[in-house]
Amino acid sequence: MNLSLKKHSVLPGFGPTLGYTVFYLSLIVLIPLSALIFKTAGLTWGEFVATVTAPRVVASYRVTFGAALLAAAVNAVFGVLVAWVLVRYRFPGKRLFDALVDLPFALPTAVAGITLATVYSGGGWIGRYLEPHGIKVAYTPLGILVAMVFIGLPFVVRTVQPVLEELDAEIEEAAACLGANRWQTFSRVLFPTLLPSLLTGFALAFARAVGEYGSIIFIAGNMPMVSEITPLLIITKLEQYDFAGATAIASVMLLASFIVLLTVNLLQKWSRRFAE
Amino acid sequence: MGGRKTRPYNNRVKGTDMSIEIVSVSKNFGQFAALDNVSLTVPSGELVALLGPSGSGKTTLLRIIAGLETPDGGKILFNGEEATDRHVRERQVGFVFQHYALFRHMTVFDNVAFGLTVKPRKERPGKAGIRDKVHELLRLIQLENLADRYPSQLSGGQRQRVALARALAVEPQVLLLDEPFGALDAKVRVELRRWLRRLHDEIHVTSVFVTHDQEEALEVADRIVVMNGGRIEQEGTPGEVYDRPATPFVFNFLGNVNLFHGRVHNGLARLGGMELASPEHAATTDSPAVGYVRSHDIEVERLPSDSSAVAAEVRHVHTVGPLVRVELLLSESGETVEAELSRDVADRLRLKTGETVFARPRKLKVFAGDYQI
Repeated sequence: MNLSLKKHSVLPGFGPTLGYTVFYLSLIVLIPLSALIFKTAGLTWGEFVATVTAPRVVASYRVTFGAALLAAAVNAVFGVLVAWVLVRYRFPGKRLFDALVDLPFALPTAVAGITLATVYSGGGWIGRYLEPHGIKVAYTPLGILVAMVFIGLPFVVRTVQPVLEELDAEIEEAAACLGANRWQTFSRVLFPTLLPSLLTGFALAFARAVGEYGSIIFIAGNMPMVSEITPLLIITKLEQYDFAGATAIASVMLLASFIVLLTVNLLQKWSRRFAE
Repeated sequence: MGGRKTRPYNNRVKGTDMSIEIVSVSKNFGQFAALDNVSLTVPSGELVALLGPSGSGKTTLLRIIAGLETPDGGKILFNGEEATDRHVRERQVGFVFQHYALFRHMTVFDNVAFGLTVKPRKERPGKAGIRDKVHELLRLIQLENLADRYPSQLSGGQRQRVALARALAVEPQVLLLDEPFGALDAKVRVELRRWLRRLHDEIHVTSVFVTHDQEEALEVADRIVVMNGGRIEQEGTPGEVYDRPATPFVFNFLGNVNLFHGRVHNGLARLGGMELASPEHAATTDSPAVGYVRSHDIEVERLPSDSSAVAAEVRHVHTVGPLVRVELLLSESGETVEAELSRDVADRLRLKTGETVFARPRKLKVFAGDYQI
């Protein structure tokens, strides 16, 4: 019997590559995540709810997700600005600045955290000028925001930059010929074109900020109910051998992050509706 | 295309009375002189083609008229008024780009409406006014049913028509088109350029378009400006430019051409073995000369009909659609020429490769001196 039901594609190796992709994703992502859910299942529903809705835990969600969203928003604005300057203008030291953008990727998070804490503390280079105005950064929720902004910056810049580079100068010229001023050209023509990549950068910066641990614990002060982030709470639970409690909180984080990323993805799809 | 009688600009032609004057404009890009002291007048309401090979400066000139590029020297006058330093926004030009430059995140409707919606509040028409105007233009370009599509869902020809409607929406004083049909396939190209010609006959806005396609320029334009190396070679109606080329370059650029090398002396030219009168060179004594003959102006005959016919060997016979191209080797000078015959003439002659015939230029233009093209 002839079993040649499968379609032959021009590109070879569809079977092996798909098989490998599924295997790889399972090994790296799915199995650990399912272990997380599995471990959580050791709790009864009541215990689970009690763990994940404890006031201290809820406060940590607020701090983590609130600061992460805010940091991603700050990065969205200033990331576009940095990308714009790097793409549009020529100035001495441009390549150096371009390389600096990637530094938060490469720096060990603990180093970043300690450095930021030092610089923003009362006697630090920046902190000493802020303190007299009543602005405390280190060891407050504001410090968490600063650390999150720091580690999230490259994401927006690096996703927006290539799109900006490929924007046709003719598009702007066309807008100018039609009578649009600089602001109208940016807001009506350039920005909508950048929006999909900007949303990608936003999502990545957000995801990174939610998952950040190393740099934040050094600058946050880690006061329960005020400046304690959820990842720290998970570590605390682990140190007390409360594995089920730790995984319960982790699974809530996982779900929340998933929902946020899904929303951003949908938004992104909507903003790309023109590219069919 | 163009069957319907829509004349949205009928009673609005007043504002489009606009001539363009270019006075000794120069432009350099680094060491490269893109425009070298170019002067040109575009009369109001005409459709003028800037024709030339790439690098001839035609696009640069167009962009300078639009204000997208600043000249290094010289002036641009709109209706006699200096406009050299006027910003693109204030020049009221409609510009159509070769690659359309449509806003891809906007629908066809929004693209066309763009120029109206960015107007300052007090000049901006109301929502209904904008809608009427856009639909009027979409009717004009015959894409009314595609108002909600995105540019990516349109064909190249449709995109270029949208780009044109978008440029016309602001009722520009001048319409500038940069190789508007360059990115389209041959059939759509011909269709669209005829449509542009008809459109221009309706709206009479002063228009300049850039092209490197001589056929396009000859078919569409009221006047042709032939450019080469940053200078204007010749300017005139399509008939003038084609029938009386002022320079060898123009001759060579407009149509297929054959060269006969030789000398001219006291009004008599000896070129590639033929001898013919050249009254315009009556005063020239013993100078090198080149005779230019278009391929379709070479007659192929079995017997020589006068002294200008020279013996030649048939090398190749190609049939290209309705035409037959015959490659001939002139027996005396060893030069190769190409004759373009119509199918019925070729059928009557029944030429065979290798046989000897006579080639006679019907129309020949002699340029004295060492011309290089």
